[in-house]
Amino acid sequence: MQSNAALEYDYSVAKLYTYTAILFGFVGMLIGTLIAAQLAFPELNYLFGEYGTFSRLRPLHTNVVIYGFTVSGIFATFYYAAQRVLKVSMAESKFIMFVGKLQFALYLIAATAMVVTELMGITQSKEYAQMEWPLDLLIVVIWVLWGVAMFGLIGIRREKALYISMWYFIACFLGVAMLYLFNNMAVPTYFTSGSLGSIMHSVSMYSGTNDALVQWWWGHNAVAFVFTVPIVGMIYYFLPKESGQAVYSYKLSLLSFWGLMFVYLWAGSHHLLWSTVPDWMQTMGSVFSVVLILPSWGSAINMLLTMKGEWNQLTENPLIKFMVLASTFYMLSTLEGPIQAIKSVNAIAHFTDWIPGHVHDGVLGWVAFMIMAGLFHMAPRMFKREIYSKKLVEAQFWIQTTAVVLYFTSMWIAGITQGMMWRAVDEYGNLMYSFIDTVTVLHPYYAIRALAGVLYVTGFAMFAYNMIKTMTSSRELSEEPQFRSPMA
Amino acid sequence: MFHWLEKRPFFFAVGVFVVIAFAGLIEILPNFAEASRPVEGLRPYTVLELAGKEVYKKDNCIACHSQLIRPFKAETDRYGQYSLSGEYAYDRPFLWGSKRTGPDLHRVGNYRTTDWHENHMWEPTSVVPGSIMPAYKHQFKNIADLETAYAEAVTVKNVFNVPYGDDIKPGKAAWEAYKPKVLAEAKKIAADMKNKDVKDAVAAGKVPEVVALIAYLNSLGSSRYEAKK
Amino acid sequence: MNALIIKALAFAAVLIIATLVVVKQMHIDLSDPINLLTMIGAIAIAMLTAGVSAKYIAQMKTDRAGGELAEENWDGIGEYKNELPSGWAYSFLGTLIWAMWYWTVGYPVNAFSQIGQYNEEVKAYNKKFEAVHKNADKETLKQMGESIFLVQCAPCHGTTGDGLSGKAQDFTSRMTKAQVLHVINNGQHQLDFPMGAMPPGMASGKDAEDIAAWIAGGMKGEKPAAFAACASCHGADGKGNNGMAPDLVGYDLTLISHVLEHGKKGIIGRMPSFKTRITPVQEKALAEYIQSLKD
Ligand code: HEC
Ligand code: HEC
Ligand code: HEC
Ligand code: HEM
Ligand code: HEM
Ligand SMILES: [Ca+2]
Ligand SMILES: [Ca+2]
Ligand SMILES: [Cu+2]
Repeated sequence: MQSNAALEYDYSVAKLYTYTAILFGFVGMLIGTLIAAQLAFPELNYLFGEYGTFSRLRPLHTNVVIYGFTVSGIFATFYYAAQRVLKVSMAESKFIMFVGKLQFALYLIAATAMVVTELMGITQSKEYAQMEWPLDLLIVVIWVLWGVAMFGLIGIRREKALYISMWYFIACFLGVAMLYLFNNMAVPTYFTSGSLGSIMHSVSMYSGTNDALVQWWWGHNAVAFVFTVPIVGMIYYFLPKESGQAVYSYKLSLLSFWGLMFVYLWAGSHHLLWSTVPDWMQTMGSVFSVVLILPSWGSAINMLLTMKGEWNQLTENPLIKFMVLASTFYMLSTLEGPIQAIKSVNAIAHFTDWIPGHVHDGVLGWVAFMIMAGLFHMAPRMFKREIYSKKLVEAQFWIQTTAVVLYFTSMWIAGITQGMMWRAVDEYGNLMYSFIDTVTVLHPYYAIRALAGVLYVTGFAMFAYNMIKTMTSSRELSEEPQFRSPMA
Repeated sequence: MFHWLEKRPFFFAVGVFVVIAFAGLIEILPNFAEASRPVEGLRPYTVLELAGKEVYKKDNCIACHSQLIRPFKAETDRYGQYSLSGEYAYDRPFLWGSKRTGPDLHRVGNYRTTDWHENHMWEPTSVVPGSIMPAYKHQFKNIADLETAYAEAVTVKNVFNVPYGDDIKPGKAAWEAYKPKVLAEAKKIAADMKNKDVKDAVAAGKVPEVVALIAYLNSLGSSRYEAKK
Repeated sequence: MNALIIKALAFAAVLIIATLVVVKQMHIDLSDPINLLTMIGAIAIAMLTAGVSAKYIAQMKTDRAGGELAEENWDGIGEYKNELPSGWAYSFLGTLIWAMWYWTVGYPVNAFSQIGQYNEEVKAYNKKFEAVHKNADKETLKQMGESIFLVQCAPCHGTTGDGLSGKAQDFTSRMTKAQVLHVINNGQHQLDFPMGAMPPGMASGKDAEDIAAWIAGGMKGEKPAAFAACASCHGADGKGNNGMAPDLVGYDLTLISHVLEHGKKGIIGRMPSFKTRITPVQEKALAEYIQSLKD
């Protein structure tokens, strides 16, 4: 039933996730800015009693930006782009539509419960897996529903071959499913102790070094399958689509994809260098991290080459700016990470602020830039109105770019300095610095990072405002734009 | 061949899954039995210490503190003997952390004491001027959840064979019978403390979070296996 | 070279220089291999990312896209069948070769041991500082002592050694009256001096008060007669009888090393034991430094 008549795609689920991406993005980054400020000005720890300390808020920040903002962004762009590259509308199947909406309803419940439990301090204390077992179960259900929707759409597709973005969405689905499940395995203590204590509490299925291995097998690949894989999927769709350019090289896409899949999983032990996991495993982590540079850069280069000869688009279209800079920051973090994974370098870098610096090159410059660019691109098509203000997009771009540069340069210097100070010995061979010396020296950098946070959130507020205006009061469009997104 | 896969989503998905599952099998499994073996003489955490570990998790000290001493001279000078895999055998979850905004704590029990922690948790800058660690005054008021800690001990004993005594058994009655032991341990800690409210609470059979936390912090280090030698 | 590439590299250079300046200000020794490799790594990250990304972005200005298009097309997105960029392909090969080297030579998977490396590091350290430590004079010891003190002891005793308003022993004087009285009344047995235990009740009432006040005052002025009871162990001058009992006047090496070995609980609080964490040279240095704090 191949038909050339334009399909009416149904964006109702994509829209819902767009709203949550904006909401959680703003909240999560606001908390990020607060915790950044707390390290520079500790008095800020006491704004909300025990719920406002740095330590309670930090996992709230990471979870809200990951499971709230990024995952919403992934679902929003998936429910938008998958229909289009598969050439099938959600409206064609009542079942898939229902699954999508049910998934969103459960997602909203889980996300709310996540915020509440984390504020209360109910946590497994494993990074990026903090949520306790009842929430984990809910998340499994949400994920399975996503799989049903994804393979449902694939099942009724009209486009025979899967577009690159779909490869990445499938990988995201499978990778997270496998790793999340293993890492969150735990025994709820209430049921094994004759109904004693809290029903929320559980103990990890693994102990000590094993727990660490499973945790970073997940932790590293949470980065891989949440912050990398689906975002690469996004750029492969949104950049060619917004620019009207064909993807530079199929071969490069292919090698990058399968290379990434194969190599990524081996690299997890670079989070455990110099720990008590066996030496050979650590070496594997270092080795595969460095090999990982090229599959990662492959996608970034493929995208930059796609824009070859399109300088005018880069200067004139702020969405292209966002995406080209996102590729660049992706290159930065995927070179920085591997180098930090080399044993000698990790001896300094591990435990220091250089790591959060590396993290935010990726998440601010790459993940958040791509999600915002994607949502901007989708808005005129979903809401049938032009983007409210181009000036605002431009201003947002420059403010946020400044913010990322301030964030990563300050943490780069702070981290390297701190790492070297911890090791420094004086002329008699004794440690040169007490621990607190290595803390107070960081004050200026923490202050700069807090400023970066303020700038970035300001930019995000501009994004939110622009999006809301686009949804509600911007000029209506009579037909869907083919490539470049119209903006006033 | 790849293009063939791209037209067959099922096989494509299987291919991706095999490629990503592979590394886990090879890297993680072989070490499993080896790494769960405790160092000689290691005793499990007491119930009070487990309750303290819950406080450590609840207030998320892992945000700033590591518990992993790497084998570098600079690190062993600062914190003591490098960490051994077998020391973590009863740690569920592991609490190595990934960021040292504050110092490592894996052996903090060796070189800090109850009264110091009391001062420090109440107001870190009172002992370390310039500290950016938050004050945790609420831990002096909130009461620790001993029952959940006991439930954890029961669970790890029965499910993972952690060597607790026969007096750690499921059920309310067993817990009520066990509770005085926990309180006695808490009293010992409170005896080294100065805060009046804390002392009164412990005397009245209620254990503030800070007491449990200090018990846990004191247990970090070599005391859990050296004492037996 | 293209202006954009130059700007990008200049930015990277500024970042590196800033890092170097800050690190140098903290007296970091960049010839240390770990520090050196880290700096090289940092330079590689900054320069390669800036250079390579700027190169491709510059191509947006100069080159044209082209090539043979694949038949398929998704939502209007086409795909060229271009070959792999050769720089990319060769670099990929390069990392594979590096990986083999790291695997077999750098950190041979079958042979490298981080604990072995640690032992080597300690050996090299001992060799390097042996001479310094053996022949350290008083002044050197004091300086050494200060840096050890700031790292290990200052969190309790304060950076100036004043005990942080009564949270630990105040090294600017020896003991307070209350401390002495407490020991007189309760005895003490935790430091393992040759004399063994200090018995309780060696003095009482006004005698005890007088002795305590006199010791707290630094043993100046007239010696209370009742101190005779103490002198048998602590010596007539209170200096501990050649290490048989604690020095009550100052912090001599014997006292320091007994305290570091066993820790101590008194009316102020508990002092942890530093057994195995402080070497004999460091002990000497600490004693030298702590003695210098008394004013
Ligand atoms: C914002 C970061 C931060 C958080 C959160 C934090 N700490 Fe700290 N902690 C520090 C810093 C910085 C130091 C070093 C300065 C000092 O001693 O106060 C420190 C020092 C310590 C020390 C002394 C260790 C030593 O070797 O001197 C202990 C013990 C400690 N913290 C326990 C905790 C516990 C328990 C929690 C959670 C309830 C916690 N910390 C939460 C930053 C933090
Ligand atoms: C039988 C021998 C003996 C006699 C008599 C004696 N002491 Fe002691 N004193 C010791 C020993 C031994 C110690 C160390 C105890 C320990 O191991 O903690 C000590 C410790 C002390 C301390 C604590 C020092 C510190 O740094 O902890 C004080 C103060 C002290 N004596 C004062 C006195 C006074 C005052 C008298 C007389 C009224 C007295 N001693 C009589 C043997 C004695
Ligand atoms: C965790 C806190 C803490 C640390 C760390 C600490 N001390 Fe102490 N120290 C104390 C306290 C508390 C006392 C007072 C004990 C008492 O009540 O008499 C004390 C007492 C002392 C005394 C006096 C003992 C006496 O008999 O008068 C000496 C000497 C001493 N410390 C040396 C050191 C040195 C040297 C270091 C570092 C290597 C150090 N301390 C580290 C807490 C500490
Ligand atoms: C080739 C790709 C990459 C490699 C090899 C790599 C490597 C590393 C290394 C070595 C660490 C530090 C571990 C430590 O010492 O604590 C790290 C941390 C981290 N990286 Fe990457 N990185 C890569 C890409 C990325 C990207 C693209 C992102 C995000 C978009 C990212 C996000 C993170 C995060 C969140 C952490 C912190 C984990 C923690 O909580 O400790 N990484 N990475
Ligand atoms: C306004 C923007 C932001 C600011 C100011 C900010 C600030 C911070 C701060 C201060 C930390 C703690 C670092 C530490 O413990 O030393 C942190 C951690 C983290 N943030 Fe952000 N953040 C922001 C946005 C984001 C976004 C958008 C994401 C993800 C999409 C993100 C992901 C993370 C992650 C994964 C960590 C944990 C890193 C680690 O454990 O090593 N952040 N952030
Ligand atoms: Ca969980
Ligand atoms: Ca972390
Ligand atoms: Cu990683």
